Amino acid sequence: MPPSSHKKNPSPSSSIPRHIFSHPAEEAFATILDYYGVEWEYEPRTFPLERDEHGNITEAFRPDFYLPQQDLYVELTTLRPKLSTKKNHKLRRLKELYPEVNVKLFKRKEMRDLLVKFGLYDQAAKIAGTKSQNLAP
Amino acid sequence: MSVVTLSRQLGSLGSQVARQTADLLGYRLVWRDLINESALRAGAPSTALAVIDDLGLLGISLSKKEVRAFRKALRQVMEELYATGNVVIVGRAGQITLHNKPGVLHVRVFAPPDLRAERIAARQQISLENAAAQVEASDKNRRKFLKRFFKTDWDDLQLYDLLINTAHLNVEQSARLITQALASLPGMDPAGSFG
Repeated sequence: MPPSSHKKNPSPSSSIPRHIFSHPAEEAFATILDYYGVEWEYEPRTFPLERDEHGNITEAFRPDFYLPQQDLYVELTTLRPKLSTKKNHKLRRLKELYPEVNVKLFKRKEMRDLLVKFGLYDQAAKIAGTKSQNLAP
Repeated sequence: MSVVTLSRQLGSLGSQVARQTADLLGYRLVWRDLINESALRAGAPSTALAVIDDLGLLGISLSKKEVRAFRKALRQVMEELYATGNVVIVGRAGQITLHNKPGVLHVRVFAPPDLRAERIAARQQISLENAAAQVEASDKNRRKFLKRFFKTDWDDLQLYDLLINTAHLNVEQSARLITQALASLPGMDPAGSFG
């Protein structure tokens, strides 16, 4: 497993290496996966989407999580329509080029409300006060 | 060859009872891998997350096609487990898929909601109010799962052979009760094998 992988942990307050995340929403998502005991890896793979005439990668997509037990990549998407559109375009391209790869988009709005409801306050507070996620390179 | 299916409520200690039962019997414990395998066979891996998501935290909505494919795959995996035998299957409609099969004991582990919330609050170090919300959401979603996938009422007592209230019985006692009940099934020999 790569260094950023994480095996299942039954406790929501586990010792996840939080510093690896580029956005609090990702941290919250990891917390949820840990709550359910689902194994995850953080940004383990980059998929080249476009190359120039020299073979250099000009566009790529790196999903936020890979869940090995489900063989599923997960991308947390922003609620901003402009960024969502770009991300959807990349996802469509990814599915064209890598049809064997399973990817699922999650919006983060639903997570926040429920994290509050079920007592995961720290994560919810972080999500509430931050800007939308930047696009992966 | 025999099988125990165990349905449990969040905070009922059902998971611990399942582990202890499997240990006592020397059976394999099947849990999450049942869901993952079914979802992969169904060609809809995100279905696994939707099914795992007891509290509805991820908000995954499934299409009818995904539900049908998952249900079919789940039945297949369950039948294979039954054919292999000597297994304790936790949750996910074992009580329905293997209903009326010889050599299968269907168990429901439950406890009062207040007690379950207290256990969750203590385990996760959260408020009683938050824990109660988890218990309520989990019950709702597990009930919804059986309704949507199998059109069956989770609380239908006809689905179970043995009901265990862990308000009064601890994990060890509950597991021993299950092993005794299993040995008492028609066709079972004293060693717990189905004849």
